[in-house]
Amino acid sequence: MASPPPSPLTTNSAASAPPDTSNKPAAPPVNILPTQLATTYSYIHPAALLSAFAARFPALVNDPVSEMAQQLPFLALAHVAYVMICLPAAGTDSAATAAATPTSPSTPTAATSSASSTTTATTTGSRTNGNVILRPGRVGRRRTKDSSSSSSSTASAIRGRVVASLLSLTLTTLLATPVLSILLILFGAPFTTHHAQTVLCAAHMAILSSLALVYVHGVDGNVWKEVWGAKRPGDVVWGGALGTCVGAWLGAVPVPLDWDRPWQAYPITLLTGAYVGFVLGSVLGRSVLFGKRVRFEEGEDVKKVD
Amino acid sequence: MAILPRSWAVIIANVLTPLAVLVFSSGFFPYKPLIPGLARFEDGGNHTATPKAFDKVIFMVIDALRSDFVYSNNSGFLFTQSLIRSGAALPFTAYASSPTVTMPRLKAITTGSKPSFLDVILNIAESDTSSTLAYQDTWLAQLKANGGQLVMYGDDTWLKLFPGMFERADGTTSFFVSDFIEVDNNVTRHVSTELSRDDWSAFIMHYLGLDHIGHKAGPQSPYMTTKQQEMDSIVANIYTSMEQQQHLQSTLFVLCGDHGMNDAGNHGGSSVGETSPALLFISPKFQALDILRQSPTDSHSDFQYYRTVDQTDITPTLAGLLGLPIPLNSLGVFIPELLDLWETRSQRIDVLLSNSRQILRKMTEMFPNRSFDINSMNIACDSGPLVGVDLALCAWFRVNILLQNSGGADKNDLYSELESALFVFLKHAQEVIRSAASDYDLRNLLLGLAITSFVVLLPLPTIYTLLCKSWCAGAFFALCLLGYGGMMFASSYVEEEQQFWNWMFTAWVFCLHVRSSILPRCSMPSQERNTRFYRLYDLSYSNFGALALLLSHRVLRRWNQTGQKFATEPDIARTFFPSHRLILWFLVILTYANTCRHLLAHRLSKLWQLCCVTMALSALLLKLSYVASDSPELLPEALLVLWKRVFDGGSTVLFTRLVVIGIMFLIPLSMCIRNTPQLLVPSTVFHDALTLFLVTQSRATNIPIFLILRAHANILATMNLSALELAITSLIAQYMTFFAFGGSNSIATVDLSNAYNGIGTYNVVLVGILTFISNWAGPIWWVSAAQALRLNQARHERESHMAVLTFHMAATLMSVMAACTILRSHLFIWTVFSPKYLYAMAWAILNHLAVNLLGEVLHLISSKLANHSAVELL
Repeated sequence: MASPPPSPLTTNSAASAPPDTSNKPAAPPVNILPTQLATTYSYIHPAALLSAFAARFPALVNDPVSEMAQQLPFLALAHVAYVMICLPAAGTDSAATAAATPTSPSTPTAATSSASSTTTATTTGSRTNGNVILRPGRVGRRRTKDSSSSSSSTASAIRGRVVASLLSLTLTTLLATPVLSILLILFGAPFTTHHAQTVLCAAHMAILSSLALVYVHGVDGNVWKEVWGAKRPGDVVWGGALGTCVGAWLGAVPVPLDWDRPWQAYPITLLTGAYVGFVLGSVLGRSVLFGKRVRFEEGEDVKKVD
Repeated sequence: MAILPRSWAVIIANVLTPLAVLVFSSGFFPYKPLIPGLARFEDGGNHTATPKAFDKVIFMVIDALRSDFVYSNNSGFLFTQSLIRSGAALPFTAYASSPTVTMPRLKAITTGSKPSFLDVILNIAESDTSSTLAYQDTWLAQLKANGGQLVMYGDDTWLKLFPGMFERADGTTSFFVSDFIEVDNNVTRHVSTELSRDDWSAFIMHYLGLDHIGHKAGPQSPYMTTKQQEMDSIVANIYTSMEQQQHLQSTLFVLCGDHGMNDAGNHGGSSVGETSPALLFISPKFQALDILRQSPTDSHSDFQYYRTVDQTDITPTLAGLLGLPIPLNSLGVFIPELLDLWETRSQRIDVLLSNSRQILRKMTEMFPNRSFDINSMNIACDSGPLVGVDLALCAWFRVNILLQNSGGADKNDLYSELESALFVFLKHAQEVIRSAASDYDLRNLLLGLAITSFVVLLPLPTIYTLLCKSWCAGAFFALCLLGYGGMMFASSYVEEEQQFWNWMFTAWVFCLHVRSSILPRCSMPSQERNTRFYRLYDLSYSNFGALALLLSHRVLRRWNQTGQKFATEPDIARTFFPSHRLILWFLVILTYANTCRHLLAHRLSKLWQLCCVTMALSALLLKLSYVASDSPELLPEALLVLWKRVFDGGSTVLFTRLVVIGIMFLIPLSMCIRNTPQLLVPSTVFHDALTLFLVTQSRATNIPIFLILRAHANILATMNLSALELAITSLIAQYMTFFAFGGSNSIATVDLSNAYNGIGTYNVVLVGILTFISNWAGPIWWVSAAQALRLNQARHERESHMAVLTFHMAATLMSVMAACTILRSHLFIWTVFSPKYLYAMAWAILNHLAVNLLGEVLHLISSKLANHSAVELL
């Protein structure tokens, strides 16, 4: 019944079993949209993010809560722009077809299953075969759309993306932020004090990690099961998400040092780690670790990343 | 075939470990070279010209008398504070350098020198007599040499330090911490008789009750104020006698603490509370000096009241005031406020000059290759910033120039200039001597390190193949060791080691979570796992196991705040429970009930159930009686009153012994009863009996932790961990729980409150064992729990478990030794790295060799026995 997970999977003998209950594969790794703009912007975005963070670092040290709160809308805006420009949205036809033709493994295709399309797609049966699905007609249709550049369809595509990104932003705020706050506390953040710091830090991390995940994968249960088990195949989205979390985890390292520097205060190092981790994770996810899954040895795989 | 040499390698590694520790320790804790003999006044009668200010001294030490206990607004020392206001008492805060335990501090007070860290161990191994001061120069020896008689009452550490020194003495054991009243009454009953006698020239008292209260119940305990008032009444008694009695007319009364205590009531480390004891010089004569001070007052910084002097300053001050030569090894500086007792300036200068000459001699001794001759001085004192010895030398140079200029002319401003120059020199010299590195035996250090490295290498082949087999967990283990090793070189990480283990634990839980969500969930092929109940149990644990682990670990993390940086933040044991006593006792009873339930599950017979319930109930009663006598603030009032009415006067010692024997008796009993039901969770009678014992041997506020530990073990039991994963889990959990129980890498957190349970008379070995058990209760529990989890392991798996543990022990020990060797001249070597080395020793020798290995041997024996009986049955 259970089909093997998508192709670029590296397995070792111990962990070769398929994901538990799913009888249909989760979405394969996602790549940046093949447009010139997307490729360029996908490099500009992390760089801009890091430089902005570095520029605002003194202010962050000065007053973490208000600075994090002030920067949150800008981060959300920048990230929404990033996912809209660079990533295929869930549930939009254009998203699934945005990728180039499936050719060499070095330029893997992006096919995304979405909440809406899975339900219909599962019935077709082609889904159960697993891999990247690119229905021939669509590519052509997409191409024609692009070439014809009919303003109305472009507008609708953009509208679709806007809706998707706003939806994912809402989901991120409503779901990912509380979940990440709880995880932060479980991993050792203060429970009785520093609530604003924790929630704001979680909000930043949620935008960095979950926004793109939701935008690309929607509420696809299989994908989120994989996320829960931390075994998504490496790509720019999952790399960024995992990098954010691991970066924040590593960010706790300088806190106990007795240097008595103001930047050692609780959320600052974590947030720094999260930003750096996001950038490193996305870069590594789309390049070196593309398609590779974190096996049980996540602990050290992740450390290699950082 | 290959197994044999491998297991032998592990055995040899374990045998070599104590040797490595011994060699390294001998190099790391050298006896300090001291100038032998007694100091004499130089050039005959010339210098005795300074008349003594006092004939006799009453020296009253109150153990752990932190400065705020006397000086603050909520002190019980009301009479003493009135003395400060009237000017009859000169108050100071005396800086007591680490290690802040009694014996080294007494050495500092009497010899004026900085004691070596070795004294900490000797302080614990009290029977040792090699640390005696009988042949060292102290103000006591000087008094005796000048024909005085000394009497001493209180802490018998004095008697060990000064054998044969006292005419009359009555010592009390300083380690019996559960007694607050007898120890002090034993001193007080001698006070009035001694005050009426005039044959002594030094009357020394050392009260221990206050320290015991600190250890047992902390500085905020309700006992504390009562004890302070009791001590204050003794001060009042002595002071009135000094005013009234003729033979006490020229008596100096010194009241001081040997060290302070931290907020938990412990001491040994270098936190500001521990290093700030009070020091008061009291005499009606001081009223003439007209120094009026406010009292009670606020501290100008943490625990710093009035002026802060060094504890070693007591020695030269006493010597000066009593007209004695300053002890040879002193690095103290005469306390300036007391100089005014001499009327003429030249007398004051003489006092300071003899102090300077003595300290210069000490410097000459310490820096034999430096020339201290004024005429051959070749340092450019005026050029640039100076450091260390040069600074002191230049100050001495300046003193000499001033001396030559004085030429006997009695010019007042010259004298004041000379006085300040002398103080400048004295301060610099003190600093130079104090910060000079101790002499280590580098050869032994390196030899010890080499042996440990060899111990690391021995199990390495086994470990390497193991780690390669499942390189996922292996890499985590390697990174954990590397991280730990690197951490040992940073003082703040040593202080905050609990953060590392908590951090590692969360990561490890995440690893286990990822692993378990990938691995197919195949249960072990044992039959009981197929029951419906078990499947439910298994399911709930397997899906949310990691979350439950994280959640309970998060609670555990906040149980006891430890370390340095965040130690004072509110936590569950010290902040929450004292104000929520009913919750505490509900959880404590729940813990006992849970342990009892686990015990009951082992056998079906009625006799067994009766025994288990009896034991659990009596252990709970025993714990209640301990809490009622030691920290009654944890008991709800109604319960306390009831308790006092019903049980007061009962012998806890006998009761404790009965309970311990009863718990031990459960194990042979379980072997006699054979109808064994099937257990839901892997456990052994031994493990559950041990849990009952450990629970009783822990602080009341830590008892509910065992519930969490049990939950952890149950969750881990459902995860089907491999041998390596189990070994890593066991290791991380051992360290993590040690810190969760309130342990740290500071001597101050050694918990002595359960070290005397069931002990009638002081016994070093028993007290040592109980101290270890009560401090390492968590690790010991985990060793036993891991044994229970590994019941079905094959022989090679057991061997690899031991190999992992041995390798980890050796590697951590090696990194600590390396850090101590490389950082031996680090500023924090005695405050941070040496205590860490002591703890590393305890982890290696006691926790690894005694507990882990013993557990393994016990298991081997019991399985052999079981096999035999099985064969016989067949």
